[in-house]
Amino acid sequence: MRAIWFISQIALFGLVSSRMINVPNLDYFRYYVAGLSIMTLYSAAIFIGFDIYEEADHGVFEYLLSLPVTRRQLVLGRSIGGGLRAFIYVGPLIGVSLYVIGAISPINFLIALFSLFLFAFGVSGMSITIAVVLKSSDRFDILMGVLDALIVRLSTAMYPLAYVQEANPLYGWIAKFNPVTYVADLFRWGTGLEAIISLDNPLLPLLGIIAFFSIFTFVGIIIYERRIEGGGWQ
Amino acid sequence: MKGILYILEHDFRNFFRYKWWLVGLISMNLADLFIMAIVYNSMLSPAVKEQITNYFNFFAPGLTVTGLFASAFMIGREVNMERRREIHHYMLSLPMTRLELAVGRVLSGGLRGMVYMSPLLLTCFAILRFPTIEQFLIILAVLFLLAIGISGLSIAIAVSTSSFEKFITARGLVYYTLFFCSSVFYPLSLFQQLGQEGKLPMILVTLAEVNPLSSASNIIRSFLLDTPPFSPSMILNVLVFSSIFTFSAAFAYIEIIERT
Repeated sequence: MRAIWFISQIALFGLVSSRMINVPNLDYFRYYVAGLSIMTLYSAAIFIGFDIYEEADHGVFEYLLSLPVTRRQLVLGRSIGGGLRAFIYVGPLIGVSLYVIGAISPINFLIALFSLFLFAFGVSGMSITIAVVLKSSDRFDILMGVLDALIVRLSTAMYPLAYVQEANPLYGWIAKFNPVTYVADLFRWGTGLEAIISLDNPLLPLLGIIAFFSIFTFVGIIIYERRIEGGGWQ
Repeated sequence: MKGILYILEHDFRNFFRYKWWLVGLISMNLADLFIMAIVYNSMLSPAVKEQITNYFNFFAPGLTVTGLFASAFMIGREVNMERRREIHHYMLSLPMTRLELAVGRVLSGGLRGMVYMSPLLLTCFAILRFPTIEQFLIILAVLFLLAIGISGLSIAIAVSTSSFEKFITARGLVYYTLFFCSSVFYPLSLFQQLGQEGKLPMILVTLAEVNPLSSASNIIRSFLLDTPPFSPSMILNVLVFSSIFTFSAAFAYIEIIERT
C-alpha cells in the first residue's frame, strides 16, 4: 500500500502540483520527490510503535521481558530494528526517487544516507518512547496522526524554508528546528539538489539529526526501562 | 423502517466511541488547510493564480470533501472487521429484513460522514462566504449523495475482501486514485493541460473530470467562489456515482454476507 501511495503521489500529485507551483530556480517535481522519500521513511519508522501495542495485545511483551537480555539491549535493539525495517521498506522507493531526481554525488549521497539511517532510528525511538508512555493504542494512534500532520507540514519536505517563513514566521521558526527539515535538506544535498536546500552548511542539519537520534534513543531507553513493566496496556 | 433506525443507532454509537480519534482527524485536516494551503498559496504560478486567485480559498471546499470521504469510508472498516470476526452472523440474526440491514449500513455510513464533515463545511463557509438557502440545500444534498456513494463503495470493498490487509490495500488504491485524480487539490485545467501535452494519459484526465469528488468540490467552489461556473452535470456525476455504489453495496452486502 505504501508503494501505491508513493507511486501515485509521484505520478499524480507530484506531476500536477509541479505545474501549479512556480518557484524561481526550482524544479518542484524533483524537489517534491525527494521530500516524499523522507515523508515515507518517517511514516514507516513510526510503525514500530503500533507493533508494540500488537505485542502487548497478544502477550508477546511478557515473552520479550523473559528473554536473557537487559532492558537496555531490548530497547536499543527495537529502536535500531525499527529504523532498519523502515529503511528496508522504503529502500526501493528511495531508489525510485533517485531515478527520478537523477545525478548524485557518491560522497554526499553516503553522508545523506547515513543521516537517513540516524533519522529512521530516531523516529523509531520516538515512536517507542511515546507508545510506552501512553500505553493506549487509541491515544497513540491519534497523537501520531496529529504529530505526523504537524511535523511533516511544518518542515521543508514539501516546500522550501523561505516560503514557510513567508507564510507565517512561527511556521518558519518551527521548520528551522524540525528534524524532518534537516533530513530532507541533507537528502536533497546528497542527491545533487543542493541549489534548493534551505540551510547553507550541511554540517548543521547533520548535527541536528545526530542530536535527534541521540535524544530519542537514549531518553527512550530510560523511559522504556521505567515503563516496560507493570502492565496497564490499553 | 424501524430496523434501519436500529442500525443507524448502532453505527452512530460506534462512531462516537472514537470521538478523540475524530478530533485528531479534524485537526489533521485543519493542519492541511492552515499550514499546507497557506504555504502553497505563496508558491502559486501566475497562470494558476489568475485562475483560482487564492489557494487557501480554493482548497477549503476540497478539504470538506476530503473529510467527508475519510469519515464515510470508516463504515467499511467496521463491516470488514465484523466479517473477519464473524459478528455478521449476529447482525443477520437480528429481527429485520436483509434489505433493511443493508440500507441501514449504507445510510449510517453516509450520515456519519455528514456529521464529521459539518465542522469542516462550517469552517469553509466562515472563511469564504455563506451561501444562499438554495445553494446551501444543493450543497447539502450533493454532499449527502456523495457520502452515501462513498459509504456504499467502502461496504462493497469490505464485504468483497477477506482480510484486513486486502481491505486496507484496496482502500488505499481507491483513496489515492480518487483523490489525486480529482480537483480536490488542484484545478481541473492542469489535468487537461498535461493530457494535451501527452504527459498524463487521457483516461486519467477523463477520470478527473467525471470524478464525483471533483464535482462535489467544484459545486461548493462555484457557489462560494463563483468559479468554476456551476453546471447541472456536476450534480449528475455525483448522482450516478451514488446510485451505482449504493445499489451495488446493498446487493453485495446481502449476497456476500450470507455466503460466508
